[in-house]
Amino acid sequence: MATDKNKHLEEVLTSHKISKEQALLDKHIDKRKEISEALQEKYGSDLYSPFNSGSYAKHTAMNKKFDIDLIAPYKRNAFETLEKMYSSVYDFLYDKYKNEATVKKQKVSIGLEFNTDADGDIVKVDVVPGRELNKDQYPDDNNLNLYVYEQFGKIDKGSDRIKSNIKSQIENVKGHAEKDSVRQIIRLLKVWKFYNGKKPKSFFLELITIKAFDKKTISGDIWDKLKAVMEFIRDEVKSVSLPDPGNSSNDIADTLTDSDKDTLSYDMKRMIERIEEDSDTIKSYYPINEKFPPEDEQKSNNSYGVKTGIGLSVPPVTRFG
Amino acid sequence: MKFVCQHIGLSIVIDDKLVDQLCRLGSDHYPKEYGGLLVGRYVNNNKEVIIEETVLPKKFKSSAFSFERGVEGLRKTLGDLSRRNPSLIYVGEWHTHPDGRPVPSGTDSSALRTIAEHKDVFIKNPLLLIIGLSNTGYELGFYVLYKNEIHSYELEYNQQHKTEINLIEKTYGGK
Repeated sequence: MATDKNKHLEEVLTSHKISKEQALLDKHIDKRKEISEALQEKYGSDLYSPFNSGSYAKHTAMNKKFDIDLIAPYKRNAFETLEKMYSSVYDFLYDKYKNEATVKKQKVSIGLEFNTDADGDIVKVDVVPGRELNKDQYPDDNNLNLYVYEQFGKIDKGSDRIKSNIKSQIENVKGHAEKDSVRQIIRLLKVWKFYNGKKPKSFFLELITIKAFDKKTISGDIWDKLKAVMEFIRDEVKSVSLPDPGNSSNDIADTLTDSDKDTLSYDMKRMIERIEEDSDTIKSYYPINEKFPPEDEQKSNNSYGVKTGIGLSVPPVTRFG
Repeated sequence: MKFVCQHIGLSIVIDDKLVDQLCRLGSDHYPKEYGGLLVGRYVNNNKEVIIEETVLPKKFKSSAFSFERGVEGLRKTLGDLSRRNPSLIYVGEWHTHPDGRPVPSGTDSSALRTIAEHKDVFIKNPLLLIIGLSNTGYELGFYVLYKNEIHSYELEYNQQHKTEINLIEKTYGGK
């Protein structure tokens, strides 16, 4: 039987709602708060108030991968160079958390992946150090310079050119006229990226989705909208420019190489063709999160379970309180 | 009476007389905790469990705040029940909370998990009935461990009125 693409996509979104993993999200938020306080204690007046970024702030998060970022905005004179800022923050976080987390240098952030806790959960927080562009101007313009630790698409390692008004990036999605549809499509593309092991950064997918909504008339039901955005990516990814809303001289399109863009265009082409040919294939590109299947299906499948192998159940000595 | 867990779509049926029996047993041990096993059978494609009987422990330790059920004689008794027609199997546990609400403590929750994981237990979703006893009456709380989470049941709506009247009429005080 053919799959109802719209119903399926709605179920994909529901099963990936971040609120489904509230307990895990709370752990991330608590840990981010702890890190923020530690940085404030260490750097004192050299640091403005750290703040949240990432998809949770933009309401485009999905529960398979939390994108919990902490932006640490430093004053202009706090460090001689951006590299020294990056190294100092890394050294501090490494010393503080080395026994309870893997601390690693990433493209523009320092990643902390905490050891599995008693519930089997892993908390990940990315700390993004940034330095204000002009002395004492950050409170007014929110502009920060980031340090690029490793090659990032076409952006060179060691570069300190990324100037980013991260607060503008957050507002970019939140302030879009069709923000609900934009968020839905961004979440779906993140689901596709996550389950299919694809390369584009989430930020890239966010910007190209917004661009598609700005350039094309996108209407209809959810499949129509997703298909329209995928067609835009297929046709335009190789030539599109995606100015960083935090700094228009940064082109986020440069975070992919030409070869990455060819692959992405082909992925979109192939995906559209296959789904149009056989609607069931939408399930493999955009799977439902099995941990939170749609309620009706979940209920109808539920039953009191019996372990494999038949035996007489005899419970152990048990203490109740 | 029938209890339903809307969240997972599973239900429990238990006879009023058995509930009375359990409450009287709990009342006999008031103000200490007391309890035992629940035995019954799964029906309706394992979506419903009918609790038919209790098996009481030969040995136990109890206080006002805890109850430890022993295992002596359980294998034989449960074996005999399994050979009945229809066969009855172990489906969970019950115990009282004297002067307390019928909600699971941390010890109760971890007890259910321990039971579900035990090598000699072949059911995945043990039930827990907690009877909150006071000298003026009782409250029932049914729970199940499902996918490693504790879920509670509600009395089925159309039985609520009838049972509320029953609960008002029954008192187990005056010990």
